Amino acid sequence: MSATLTVRPTAAEIDPVRTARRRRRLERALAVLTPLLVLVAWEIAARTGAIPVRFFPAPTMIVSTAGDMIRSGVLLDDLGATLRRVVVGFVAGSAAGAAAGLALGLSGLARAAFDPFLSALYSVPKLALLPLLLLIFGLGETPLVLLVALSVFFPTWITCMAGVTAIPEGYREAARAFGASRWDMFRHVLWPAFLPQLFVALRLSVGVAILVIVGAEFVQGSSGVGFRIWHSWSLFQARPMYVGICVIALLGLLCTTLVTALGRRLLPWAQPANRR
Amino acid sequence: MSTPGATLSPTTDPAATGAAAIEVRGVAKRYGTRDAVIALDGVDLTVRQGEFVCLVGPSGCGKSTLLRMMAGLHRPSEGEVLVHHDGTGRTPTAMVFQDYGIFPWKSVRANVRFGLDVAGVPRAEATRTVDSWLTRLGLADFADAYPATLSGGMRQRVSIARALAVEPEVLLLDEPFAALDAQLRTVLQEELLALWQADRRTVVFVTHSLEEAILLGDRVVVMSARPGRILADLPVPLPRPRSAETRGEPAFAALEQQLWSLLRDEVSRTFDGGSPA
Repeated sequence: MSATLTVRPTAAEIDPVRTARRRRRLERALAVLTPLLVLVAWEIAARTGAIPVRFFPAPTMIVSTAGDMIRSGVLLDDLGATLRRVVVGFVAGSAAGAAAGLALGLSGLARAAFDPFLSALYSVPKLALLPLLLLIFGLGETPLVLLVALSVFFPTWITCMAGVTAIPEGYREAARAFGASRWDMFRHVLWPAFLPQLFVALRLSVGVAILVIVGAEFVQGSSGVGFRIWHSWSLFQARPMYVGICVIALLGLLCTTLVTALGRRLLPWAQPANRR
Repeated sequence: MSTPGATLSPTTDPAATGAAAIEVRGVAKRYGTRDAVIALDGVDLTVRQGEFVCLVGPSGCGKSTLLRMMAGLHRPSEGEVLVHHDGTGRTPTAMVFQDYGIFPWKSVRANVRFGLDVAGVPRAEATRTVDSWLTRLGLADFADAYPATLSGGMRQRVSIARALAVEPEVLLLDEPFAALDAQLRTVLQEELLALWQADRRTVVFVTHSLEEAILLGDRVVVMSARPGRILADLPVPLPRPRSAETRGEPAFAALEQQLWSLLRDEVSRTFDGGSPA
């Protein structure tokens, strides 16, 4: 008995462009369909009474509550308050963190002096500092913004410092071989090599900023999305809670996307699309 | 010599042909403090102006260290390295590295321009120089591409263009083609030959390929396994201009055989991991 193995092109080899296009379309459709399916299932389960609406209101109910909250102006006020705290805290904290990371990454002496000290502080959960900040600065915006800044500072600093110390010696050597001065070295080598790491740090810490502000608003304040979620609990209202959670999720997604897009714009050379 | 960290002193010398461009005098290099590793020991070498010298030796023999001393990147523990330059080039030395040489955040054009920017060459002049080198190395169509999008061969062309753009009096190359495949290597060797035959700059070329050393060099300097010493310094008796066909000449094979018999013991010594007697 004998058999022959035949290897011939299939549709994928004959028309690779069309195959790839079809595959892309399928992937895009799946990305939309899966969450849509979950929402529809949820809606049906809520309406048929399979799950208690008191705890799990149907998506359409959440949307209509969101509509009410927008019309009354509550939602936008809350969003504005949270956004202001996040933006100011994030900008201040990441600028300080990047500067510290760069300075410690570049100078071994600075690292020797500050690294153990900052590492010890790094492990303190920043939310634990809120009571202290409230004690020092009183009620108001300052402790909230400061808490965001502190929470952003540490991961930014650590990531940036690690980025600078990981710059391969070969790049510095190449620059020195051309007689680069310290300023040349910084401008042509260290700073550009550092930037991708900075954007990694920013992407990480923008999430941290949102996480921390929601926690802080639970405890303190009379405005903000975190406050709204917490306040709804004390009123036994699930729907505004869901609205708040959705708004926070969208805010997180939006901020991360913005940072990523900015990085892509500013650092075309570091993009996966430009690699082989 | 009692004081380590001897000087790497560039001096201005009369530029008579055949005058020394680089002098290495009694150079030793030790790494570490206790149980120091001796990388180089008692190295003397003179490279004349306009000469193409190839350094070969087993891995870890200190040939790259020696080259880095000529570039002023490393200092000897003993002895001195003199780089004589007469101010005809924009810089005394320029170097081509095996990897990490070119900057991924700069476009091809900006990479080639780097040395000129550092040397403070006026804008318009730098642009002209860069354009001419991009053309000479066939990089003009890729001027605005980033290195990550280029093949290994193109990247090494960028590295060579960057070094030549500063018109160094001495060009130093550290295994520039080691990471390339055999065919591409041959192509780039020929390109380098053509470039060098056009202006006859002083070149020191480190390689572990005997064949490459013979094809390119006026002299082949063979170094021993660690501690690196100079075992032999042989002239290459092949006429210029050379090309890929030069490999077929009997003298080529004879010299390769002679060099290999010198190196074989050294290579097996490092291979066995045995400490040198």
